[in-house]
Amino acid sequence: MAAAMETVESLVAHIQALTKPEDVAQLHSLLKQSQSDEALRSQAPHLAPLLADLDPAKHSLGYLYLLDTYLYSSISREQVAAFLPSIARFLNTCSAYHIRFASDKFISVCRCFKDQVMRQQTPIQGIIPLRSAVQKLQNSSEQLTTLHSDFLLLCLLAKCYKPSLCILENDIFEAENPKDLFLFYYYGGMIYIGLKRFSKALECLHNVFTSPMANLNAIAIEAYKKYILVSLIHSGQVPPFPKYASATAQRNLKNYAQAYLDLTTAYATGKHSEIEACIQQHIEKFQSDNNLGLVKQVLSSLSKRNIQRLTQTYLTLSLQDISNSVQLNGSKEAELHVLHMIQDGEIHATINQKDGMVIFHEDPEEYKTCQMVNQMDLSIQRLMSLSKKLTAIDEHISCDPAYLTKIGRERTKYEFDDFDSVPPKYL
Amino acid sequence: MASSSSSGITFKLHPLVIVNISDHYTRLKAQTLHSGESSSCAPPSNGGTAGSAPPAPPRVFGCVIGVQRGRTVEIFNSFELLFDSKTHTLDRAFLEKKQELYKKVFPTFYILGWYSTGSDVEEADMLIHRSLMDINENPIYVLLNPAIIHSQKDLPISIYETELHVIDGNPQLIFVKSSYNIETVEAERISVDHVAHLKPSDGGSAATQLAAHLTGIHSAIKMLNSRVRVLHQYLVAMQRGEIPLDNSLLRQVLSLLRRLPAIESEKFQDEFLMEFNDTLLMTYLAMFTNCTGTMNDVVEKFNIAYDRHSRRGGRTAFI
Repeated sequence: MAAAMETVESLVAHIQALTKPEDVAQLHSLLKQSQSDEALRSQAPHLAPLLADLDPAKHSLGYLYLLDTYLYSSISREQVAAFLPSIARFLNTCSAYHIRFASDKFISVCRCFKDQVMRQQTPIQGIIPLRSAVQKLQNSSEQLTTLHSDFLLLCLLAKCYKPSLCILENDIFEAENPKDLFLFYYYGGMIYIGLKRFSKALECLHNVFTSPMANLNAIAIEAYKKYILVSLIHSGQVPPFPKYASATAQRNLKNYAQAYLDLTTAYATGKHSEIEACIQQHIEKFQSDNNLGLVKQVLSSLSKRNIQRLTQTYLTLSLQDISNSVQLNGSKEAELHVLHMIQDGEIHATINQKDGMVIFHEDPEEYKTCQMVNQMDLSIQRLMSLSKKLTAIDEHISCDPAYLTKIGRERTKYEFDDFDSVPPKYL
Repeated sequence: MASSSSSGITFKLHPLVIVNISDHYTRLKAQTLHSGESSSCAPPSNGGTAGSAPPAPPRVFGCVIGVQRGRTVEIFNSFELLFDSKTHTLDRAFLEKKQELYKKVFPTFYILGWYSTGSDVEEADMLIHRSLMDINENPIYVLLNPAIIHSQKDLPISIYETELHVIDGNPQLIFVKSSYNIETVEAERISVDHVAHLKPSDGGSAATQLAAHLTGIHSAIKMLNSRVRVLHQYLVAMQRGEIPLDNSLLRQVLSLLRRLPAIESEKFQDEFLMEFNDTLLMTYLAMFTNCTGTMNDVVEKFNIAYDRHSRRGGRTAFI
């Protein structure tokens, strides 16, 4: 016992000594070795005071190892709860360079942290530490880690959407685990729905069900249902499956979302009564999927869409006529609707309250400002980097053996001496 | 052998002369190169130029004609002459005949001198020069350096006169360099412009023409930028006191600055930004289309490679 305690103390001494960047590799091998030692694990419950000695910023790697052993040993829930602030402090202050040496341990520590926070029903506590954890773990802002989905889950549960935006707005180019990707975009879509940014929500949900998949999974099905509802709210129709959606998705998703497709057909008629009837018909289904709120939004979006259609026909219109054609109850309600839409920027109009007329305008944006120049410049830069990445991927796929085998089989030879586009070794 | 002239005569050279000399040289070079490949040894060059690389390019000779009014000598045209390498003289009879013919068309033009190619004046040139002295008491010698030096920005043309200098007690004629200006007639300007902007043979397509146009503008702007930068550095150095003040230069800079900005009004800003944004939008659209095309290719290849139930048949090789 005493010997074990000694080894632990010597280990701690080592951790405190080797703080320079060159020593980290050495420290890492030392720690890995001690991990397999029984000594450390047996001492695990008593590691808490030792951890207080170490500074998480300077001795991040050592702290991480000890913390990991501590948390996964046989300690009680209360002890973990008591330790929560120190874990939070560690996540906020640790050094990214250190923890990348032991990323799986880091992920398990964060997982434990998240579970505890969820158990305590205070997800809001975990948001900031997890966000710094995510930013430290990823190699670049384009990489997706397992922590991303955990972080978004916490934000959703706490209903705090703002902190997640900085993570959500990055374009993702690398992912390690397909499940991470699905979860990330599904939660991301839900967060955007909560923020009422329906176009971004559509993008995220779209990514989920069009990802390559060999077998259907539940996340994709749920995402597809929400996708239908959000696209009805946003643009009034559901676009067909894109070419890059996997064949599995294209064939099977529709079977699971029948209620929603009925809603789509009802929406296409443009009549309130039809949609309400359809909703009543499938109300248990909507409720069990937790989508009833979205469905109600679909209903209210119908009047918006009708008003928007009016802008294309009329230059001015009285409020009474608007309420008649859109089936609202009176000009007051129509005025309210139009006012909201002008505020949200969905239409451009002015309301003349004296004679109750609404005058519809063209989009006043004339693209004359310097801000527009900057915005366009940014977009063009983004496109250029995307284009470069795409060409790189294109070249990569062209050399892929799977692709070459398929292509090589289908080639036709025109002449005996015709050149072989695919060398025979791939066939 | 050459130093700057002090005769006070201004020379005006027309681009036609330069193009003629260059054309003559290029033709001869092409012909000798062609015949040199079929024969075993390189043809010896006339005039005894020191050709370091075999076969040495031949020197060409010819006559320049123009008008002399007072102290201004204007060289309008030129024609070629045969050079007899054995006697080191120009073909006199041919010269006289040509002179008569030109006199009929251009009565005011006189033979002003002669031209040749090479990198520097040579000893043998003096003989030729003297032989022309009976037609014109003070002939001029136009020398074109056909070597292409990319760093050199000036025209590789020099005009030499002869002066009587006393060297080692003997009065001798030596060549002295004179400065000259280029004078253009409208017809010459158009043709030089055209030659300078020679487009590739399939330049009918809009893309290459646009690219050529934009490249031209880009290099012009780059040059403007570098010149402004030079001026700026000069002024900063003057401010710091590293260079003595030059008031006339400062006055010129001031007058230049007073002319800017050319237009400054809100209406101009609006229009300018609108056009700028339009161009940006076009670029954006072009990038978009490009990107979408690449994306389409990627998706197709991905579908073929990885989708289990891919389309069968019908696709021939991607090239």
